[in-house]
Amino acid sequence: MLSNNLKLAWHFYKQEYQSSHQRLLRWIQGILLLFIITLSQSSISIQEYLDHNLQSLLGADAVLSQKAELTPSQHTEVIEITDDMVITQHIKTTITHNGQWQQAKLKAVGEHYPLQGELLTSTALKEKGTPTFAAPKNGHIWLDARILASLSLNIGDHLQLANQQFLVSRILQHEPDRLMEGHTVDMRAMINLHDMKALNFSPDLIHYRYLLAATPAQVNNLIEWQENNLPAAEIRHKNGNHPLALFWQRTENFMGLASIILFFMAAIAVNQLTQVHMKKDQYFSAICMSLGASNSTGIQVSFFKWFIGLLLLLPVVLLLSACSHWLIVNWLQETFADMQWQWHAKSALVSISAVVTIFAVFHAPVWLSLRNNSVANLFADKSKGLSHWLSKASSIIVFSAVTITYSDNALLTMMMVAATLFTIILMILISWSTLTLGEKFTQNFSGLVPFSLFMMKQRLVSKSTQILGIGLCAFLLLFTLMLLKDLGATMSSYQRQHDGNVMISQATKPQMQFIETWANEQKIAVRQAKPYMYAKLIEINQQSLSKFSDKPSDSLATFSRAIRLHWSEQVPQNNKVIDGQWWQPNSENWQQVSIEEEVMTDLGLAIGDWLTFFIGQEETKFQITASHVFTPGAGSITFWVQMPPAALAHIQAPHYNMASIELNSQQWPLLANLWQKFPSLRMISLKEMTDLFDRMLAMITKVISGFSLMIILLAGVVILASINALESKEKKKNSIIMSFGFTRSTCLKLNIIEWLVTASITATGAILGTYFTGLLIYQSQFSLNYQPDFVWLIATLATILCLVTGLGIYASRSNLKSSVKQLMAET
Amino acid sequence: MSNYIELKKISQSFNTNDATITLFNDLNLVISQGESYAITGPSGAGKSSLLMLISGLEEPTSGQGIYVDAEQKKTLKELRNDIGFIFQQFHLLPELTALNNVALPLKLRGDKNAMAKAKVWLDKVGLAHRVDHKPSELSGGEQQRVAIARALVFEPKFIFADEPTGNLDQKSATEIANILFTCCQENNAALVLVTHSETLAARAQHKYLLADRQLNQTVSPSDLDTNNIVQVASC
Repeated sequence: MLSNNLKLAWHFYKQEYQSSHQRLLRWIQGILLLFIITLSQSSISIQEYLDHNLQSLLGADAVLSQKAELTPSQHTEVIEITDDMVITQHIKTTITHNGQWQQAKLKAVGEHYPLQGELLTSTALKEKGTPTFAAPKNGHIWLDARILASLSLNIGDHLQLANQQFLVSRILQHEPDRLMEGHTVDMRAMINLHDMKALNFSPDLIHYRYLLAATPAQVNNLIEWQENNLPAAEIRHKNGNHPLALFWQRTENFMGLASIILFFMAAIAVNQLTQVHMKKDQYFSAICMSLGASNSTGIQVSFFKWFIGLLLLLPVVLLLSACSHWLIVNWLQETFADMQWQWHAKSALVSISAVVTIFAVFHAPVWLSLRNNSVANLFADKSKGLSHWLSKASSIIVFSAVTITYSDNALLTMMMVAATLFTIILMILISWSTLTLGEKFTQNFSGLVPFSLFMMKQRLVSKSTQILGIGLCAFLLLFTLMLLKDLGATMSSYQRQHDGNVMISQATKPQMQFIETWANEQKIAVRQAKPYMYAKLIEINQQSLSKFSDKPSDSLATFSRAIRLHWSEQVPQNNKVIDGQWWQPNSENWQQVSIEEEVMTDLGLAIGDWLTFFIGQEETKFQITASHVFTPGAGSITFWVQMPPAALAHIQAPHYNMASIELNSQQWPLLANLWQKFPSLRMISLKEMTDLFDRMLAMITKVISGFSLMIILLAGVVILASINALESKEKKKNSIIMSFGFTRSTCLKLNIIEWLVTASITATGAILGTYFTGLLIYQSQFSLNYQPDFVWLIATLATILCLVTGLGIYASRSNLKSSVKQLMAET
Repeated sequence: MSNYIELKKISQSFNTNDATITLFNDLNLVISQGESYAITGPSGAGKSSLLMLISGLEEPTSGQGIYVDAEQKKTLKELRNDIGFIFQQFHLLPELTALNNVALPLKLRGDKNAMAKAKVWLDKVGLAHRVDHKPSELSGGEQQRVAIARALVFEPKFIFADEPTGNLDQKSATEIANILFTCCQENNAALVLVTHSETLAARAQHKYLLADRQLNQTVSPSDLDTNNIVQVASC
C-alpha cells in the first residue's frame, strides 16, 4: 500500500510540477536552504580557521602597547608576571625611492622575534613564503609586496630612509602578530631594532609593542598590573579582547538577525501558500475516498509529494551552497590568508535536517486538515476555520524556534520582534482605518475608486493578510537598505569634505615650522593648521573603560588608543556648540572639554560627566561642559575632544599639528624632499584616504547587498504567494463583474486601483515601522546614531512600491484570464 | 418596435489537437426585449456557447449578430450595458452580505442610491429579512433569489439564465421560476434561459431545441397555455 501511494505521489508530483503553488513553494524552500547551508558552512570554516590558527594569527597570548618604552622596573615586573617577552617597535614613516614615496608601517624586531606563530618571507614575489627565524640584518629592510610594486623596487635594490641606505633583501609575506595590531591595511616594512635606534626618530613618535607569552591567569594578572601602572597602555589578548572578537561578535549578531528576518518572511509566504495546498489536497483526498480509498491514502500521498519535492531540490541547493561557500571563503582570504575551502558534510546534514523539520512544521496544517477530511467536503465547503488557525500557529512556532536558536543577542532579537509586532499592529490599524474610512467618505461618489475601496473593505480579512505580508517585506527591505546606507554614511562621517589635497595628520612643532616656511617659499597654500596633543582616555566618571561598557562601540574602540586633543579659545569655525556652553576667553577653569556629539550619544555621555585622560605621563581630569558638531564650509580638520588653551600650562606633553595643504600637479614631486627630511612626517593624499574608505565600504556593501538580494527574492515570492492564494477568488470576482456588462479593461483598472491602495497602506506602515525600528535598534545594537533621512526613506519607499505595484499587477494578469463562460454550468 | 438581438447565419466551431469541432451551423435567432426564451438540448450541444454569442461576450466563427436599440443598429459588443446573468451555481461573492451582493452592479456603475435600490429588490424577491446575511447563511433557493435581484437591479434589457434551477429542489425551483419570469416580465426584460428542465422550458414563450448543430423552435407564443403561467406577487 505504501509503495503504491509512493508511486501515486510521484505521478501527481510530476503532474503538478509546473503549477504555481508548487513552484513558489520550491523557491521558498530553495532560498532558505541555500541561505542556511551556506551560512553554517561559512561559519564553521571561520570558526575552525580561528581555532586552529589563533596562535599563528595573533603571534602572542597578549600584547602590551604604548607610546613610551617600559622602564627597567616595569620591564622586570612584566617578565615576572608572564612567561616570555619579545620587544617590537613601530613607527609610521615614508619610504622614498627614485622620486617616488610610499607611506608604510615600519616595524623593528630583535633576534627573538617572532614569539609565537611563523614569520614568512620570500626572495621573489611569486614565491611562497618560507618560515624565517631571524630578524633582518643590520642595514637590511624587508618589504611587503605592495610597497615593492608601489616603488618599483626589486630584491637587491637600495632605498633611502631618513638619510640611511637600506638593502631590500626579502619580501614580507606574513607576520604572526599583525592581527593583534588591529585591522589595518597599512603597507609593511621590517628592520632590525639596532637600525631603528640608528635612525634616531623622535621617541614620542615610536610605538612600543611587547609580545607576551602568558597563561589566561597570567593575562588577568597582567591586565590588573596595567590598569594600576600603565593606564594609558593598551592590552590585547586572545581571550576575547582581540580585534577579531569585536568583528566576530558583530557578524554573529547580524547573521542571527538575518536568519530571523528571512525565516519570518518565509513564514508569511508559506502561510499564504498553505491555504492553496490545503484546498487542493483536501479535494484530492475527498475524491480518493469517494472512490473507496481510506483517509490515510490522502495523507500519505500529500506527505510523499512534499518529501519528493524537497529531495529533488537538495542536489541543486547543495551545489549552489558549495559555490556560494567557495566564493565567501575566497573573499575572506583577503583577511585570513591561509583559509581553505572545505566542505563540512556533518554540518550540512545538520542544517538540512533542521530546515526540513521547519518546513515540515510549516506544512503540518495541510496534513492535519486531511485527518478530518471526508467525502462530505465535495458536497459542502467545510473549510477551514481550524486549519486556518493551525497554519498561523505553525508559523509562530517556527518563528519562535528560529528566534531562540539563531539569536546570540537576546536584546537585539527582542527588539526586532517588538519592532515587527509594532509594524504588524500598525499595518492592521492603517488597513482597517483606510479601508473603513475610505469607503465611508467615498460612498457618495461615483467611479471605480469608491468601488475598489468598497470591495476591499468587504474583503477586509483577506486583503489585510495580503497587505500585511507585503508590508512586512517592504518594512524589512527598507530597514536593511537604510542600515546599509547609514553604515556607509557613518564611515564617511570620518571623511570630511576635504580642504586641500594633502592632509598632514602629524607634524611636530619644528616640522610644522619648516613646512610653513617651505610652503611659503614654494607658494603652496596651507589651508588649515591646528595643534593637538595625544591623550588616552582611561576613565569615565571614575570607571575604567573596560568596565564602562561591553557593547560593540566604534567610539570606545577608538578611545582604546590615544586620541588627538585640540585646544582653542573660540569655537572653531567648522564646529557648532549644540549643548552646554563653550568656555569664556581667558577662563581660569582649564579642566573643561567639549566632546563631539556623536561620541556623546554613542557612549551615553552627558554634560557634567568627568573624563580622565593620560597625557604625557600624568592623569588629567576634565569635565564635559559642551558638545559640538562638525559644520562644513570652513575646513575639514575637526576634533572629538577640545579643551581651553589655559590647560596647556598644566599639561606637559609634546605638541603636534594637523594641517591641510593644497598642491598643484607640478608641486607633487616636492613632497619627496619633505619626506626625505622628515620620514616620520605623517602625510596622506586625498586619493589614498578615499581609496581606504572605498575599500572598507565595499566590504560592508557586499555583505549587506547579498542579504538584501535574499530579502528581495523572498519579497517577490511573498507577493506571488499572496496573489496565488487569492487567485481563484479574484478570477471569480472578475467573471462576475464581466457578467454585469463590464469589460476586462474595467477589471484591470480595478486591479490597478486595488494594488495602488495596497501599496500606499504598506508604504505608510513600512516607513513608520522602519522609523520605530531605527529608534529602537540603531544606537543600542549597532552603535549608530539614528538620524532618519526622510527624503531618502520616502524616495526608496516610492521605488519599492512602484516595483511592488508593478509586480502585483503583472502577476495578477492571470486573474484577468477569466470569463463569464467559466461561471456556466457545463464548463 | 421593441429592442431586439438578431443572429444571422451564425456558426461556431473550435479547434482541438487534431480536429475541428463544429457546435452549430447557420443558426438564426431573434431575441426581443420583454419576451421569454428557453433553449434546451443535450449536454455538449453548445447551449452555453450560444448564450455567450447572443450576449455578445464571444465572437462567432462566422455569421453576424446585431443589436437593435431604439431602432438603431448596433454591434453585439454594444449590448454590454444592457445584459445580466443568472447562474446555476448562483456565484454570489461569499464575503459580501445579500444586500452588498445585490448592490454590487450599482456600485460599479457609481449609483449613489445603490444600497436603497438593493434593499427594494431584496424586498421584491422576498428577502427583506435576510439583507445582512452572507451567502453561507442562506439556502440554495434564497441565494438564487439574491442572484436574480442582483441581475435585475440595474434594469438590464436582456437576462441570460444558465440552468437557474439546476441546483434546487422541486419546491425551490418552482418558486424561483415564478420570481424569475414575473420579475423579467414586469421589468420588460427579455429572458433567455438554458435548461434541461422541460417544466421550466414550458413556461417560456419561445422554446428552442439545440441539437445536431441545429436550432429548432419547438414552442411559439401561440402554443403557450396561459393557464400555466403562475401569477406571483408583483415584482
